[in-house]
Amino acid sequence: MLRAQSATPTRAVPARFREVVDETGRTVRVPQPVLRIVSLAPSLTETIYALGIQDRLAGDTDFCDYPPDALKKPKVGGGLNPSLEEIVALHPDLVLAAKAFNRLDTVLALQTLHIPAYATDPHTVDQIVSSTRHLADILGVPDAGASLTADLEHRLADLQERLAKSAPRRVLFVVWDEPLISIGKDTFIADALRHAGATSIVDSTQGWPQISLEEVVRQQPEFLVFATAHSSGGSVDLEALASRPGWRGLEAVRNRRFAVISEAVNRPAPRIVSAIEDLARQLHPEAFEPPANTSVTWANQSRQAVSEACSCAL
Amino acid sequence: MRPLSFGYVLSRCALLAVLLFLVIVVALKLGAVPVSLYALARDLIRVALHQTSELSSDYRLIIFDIRLPRILLGTFVGASLAVAGASFQALLRNPLADPYILGVSNGAGVGAMAALLLEPHIPFPAALSALFTPVGAFLGALGTIVAVYFLGRRKGQIDSNTLLLGGVITASFLSAIQMFLFNTVMGRDLHGTAFWLMGDLSTTQQPIVSWVVRFGFFVAAAAIYTTASDLNLLLTGEKEAMHLGVDVRRVSLVVYIAASLLTGIAVSVSGAVGYVGLLVPHAMRWIFGSDHRILIPTAAFGGAIAVVIADTVARTVVAPAELPVGAISALVGAPFFIYLLRRRFA
Amino acid sequence: MSSVARSGAFAGRTDVSRSAEVRLSVEQVSYAYSPNPSKAPLFTLEATSFQARAREIVAILGPNASGKSTLLKLIAGSLAPLSGRVLLDGFVTHTLPVRARAQRIAMVQQESVLLFPSRAWEFVLQGRHPYSRTLHFESDDDMTIARNALAQVGAEHLSDRWMDQISGGERQRVILARALAQQPLLLLLDEPTLHLDIGAQVDLLEGLRRLASENRYTVVIVTHELNLVADYADQVALMQRGRCLRVGTPAAVYQRELLEQVFQAQLSVELGASGRPRVTVLSQTQ
Repeated sequence: MLRAQSATPTRAVPARFREVVDETGRTVRVPQPVLRIVSLAPSLTETIYALGIQDRLAGDTDFCDYPPDALKKPKVGGGLNPSLEEIVALHPDLVLAAKAFNRLDTVLALQTLHIPAYATDPHTVDQIVSSTRHLADILGVPDAGASLTADLEHRLADLQERLAKSAPRRVLFVVWDEPLISIGKDTFIADALRHAGATSIVDSTQGWPQISLEEVVRQQPEFLVFATAHSSGGSVDLEALASRPGWRGLEAVRNRRFAVISEAVNRPAPRIVSAIEDLARQLHPEAFEPPANTSVTWANQSRQAVSEACSCAL
Repeated sequence: MRPLSFGYVLSRCALLAVLLFLVIVVALKLGAVPVSLYALARDLIRVALHQTSELSSDYRLIIFDIRLPRILLGTFVGASLAVAGASFQALLRNPLADPYILGVSNGAGVGAMAALLLEPHIPFPAALSALFTPVGAFLGALGTIVAVYFLGRRKGQIDSNTLLLGGVITASFLSAIQMFLFNTVMGRDLHGTAFWLMGDLSTTQQPIVSWVVRFGFFVAAAAIYTTASDLNLLLTGEKEAMHLGVDVRRVSLVVYIAASLLTGIAVSVSGAVGYVGLLVPHAMRWIFGSDHRILIPTAAFGGAIAVVIADTVARTVVAPAELPVGAISALVGAPFFIYLLRRRFA
Repeated sequence: MSSVARSGAFAGRTDVSRSAEVRLSVEQVSYAYSPNPSKAPLFTLEATSFQARAREIVAILGPNASGKSTLLKLIAGSLAPLSGRVLLDGFVTHTLPVRARAQRIAMVQQESVLLFPSRAWEFVLQGRHPYSRTLHFESDDDMTIARNALAQVGAEHLSDRWMDQISGGERQRVILARALAQQPLLLLLDEPTLHLDIGAQVDLLEGLRRLASENRYTVVIVTHELNLVADYADQVALMQRGRCLRVGTPAAVYQRELLEQVFQAQLSVELGASGRPRVTVLSQTQ
């Protein structure tokens, strides 16, 4: 028989509705209050936990792994290919989607089944913050949203101040090494780099442009930035990278100027601010007091960065 | 040594129809949310008796709003592709022909991408936005059908060799455009189109789309069936067929348009499901012979059965996640194709 | 021959009150083929005429590129002549609708590749197509006709065999049987002896003579086999480079100088006891 969802509260009374416009411009009728949520993107799952309403989260995707408690929630499938049946079986009041992670078809299908779906689509760090605030408002926890966003904004402003006197570092953000893929200038990751006192040398309007190593060598970025999942321990084997032809031509590789930050930078969620802070420390150690260990190797730096990211997690 | 009779065709189709029914029942039972046969039977009866208020609402939603429409869509997509494949194999006199050989699916892909690109910029009422992709895909398919028709003519009428060449070239060209769009412009919407390109039945369709798919199938398949004996003769050669009384020009035109429309409609709603249009006709020929009067209807049933099975596997094997149905048909289809090849030429 | 409905509804029927004997009348038929309309034609067939009766075998004889196949296609009605016309039983062949044409004229061509092989009897049954309506399933009558056709070519024993598993000569016979199943008035064959050995060639021509006589066909064969034509044809049309040089009985047409000029070889022509000529090739000239 159908799986029963007894952990989270179910609705007994007909709801009021509130019409909002989501971040893709669609009008969504959200029932009030929102008691059962299904999240279709890891960033949204993280945001729900950050707002403290995780007991209203009825289900999430296979990729929602942060915080670890999210792994225990009922799963509805992947971001591109969730099971509509599973979603329906969880009787959500609202489904949260991310334009960068989910398909329009899924949202339209839910609409046909009379399940409201609200989509987010932040392109900058400021938009991530305001998106969090709007979500909190729609989900009925404006106070939690206000305090969370105030904290994020405070930290970002603090960073701005510290980095005011330092020139931004020119960096290459490496999404993948072979083929060499980086991030476009209109992505929130590029904006996160800017907040950390860095500029991406890749000037492309595509989301994940594939670039040629030659072009990178010509540009000679000061740092190579990598995002690591702290669960897997190992990163791209940086020593092996250093001995590969072509890569050797990069000063950043010869001088081992690598910055490794947590994977949080890939998710448009509150935790990205920690990753930004971490990156700022690695790129501009002189701006932070007390000064970071001057003789530290890249490996130590990354471990430090990872543990800081963990401790800054909400 | 008895010739094909209508009774024989009917009896074989009845057998396949029963098999299709069984496959549908099993498919209804299986899914990310399991359902017992007893409950299913009871509720199907309730629906038949219009006692729908007795069903629990999300159960009803799952079975009748998600699963059953998806299975029915798979039925018609499979039938359309198999009939189109058999028709193109006859029209082009080429056993390797499949519904996509003349570029219809690539044209639909370009159309769908164009629709996705334009969608944010055109003020469409929300109710119609779900139609954007299928309509765009279908328009792309239509454009390709017309273009390839004009490319495929020789002395004013369709010539199978010229058609094949023109179609294959058009397909390559459109495929290159697809790749270009994919890599430069699509960016953030990459994921959606990738799924669609592989063949995907998971999106729920507007009622009008389902209606067009079913109606289009019956009309086009019927048109092709009226040329079934002509197709038998066409396989021995265009000149031979003409000397045996086949109006080659008319038959070529009818079959080309009807088979292309079948393909265009199927691809517009489900992307390019691979191998069904190529292999199901061969399998049916193997079992029932190559007389098109039995091949066309059995291929329709065979295609429906194949796609429903593939789609059921696609949505259960890594549940709750789903695979695109084209992945399953390719995984199963390719080895089966190799097996058929070896049998033929061993 | 079973009756074939022949209404006067077809455009092109002429009121020719000729003797009932003449069935096929080729009247001043010419053709020109030019791929580029603005340029001179690549190939022309000059005005050609001859007549044939029921039970007659006519041979269109000549070397390669003499226009033989083109003339055959004009007779078959699959090409429209530039001038002149071809009349079969009073109907202009190329204006007949395809189906009506297939009920009167059967063409036996070089076989093409069989994509999805069928059994011999299924293949012969295809000859009944000109008589079937849309979505027609063959009747017992059709089967009887097909079986008879196979019997008439001596291929009954092949009826259950697959077409791709029989020899070339056997396939040729089955193809001929399919033509017979059409129950035509006119039987056209384009170089039927090309891939056959001498024994098979003689068998074929003997068979054609017998069939022409029994079934009252008019047979037109395109060939370059001088002696076969001499032995079996009632009339010969001698072609060279798009011109019909002479029409008549073999004895009348086989003049040594004429044949030498057409075939570019040194020949000797003798008249046999039966009144039919025999040609021997002495050597090739340039």
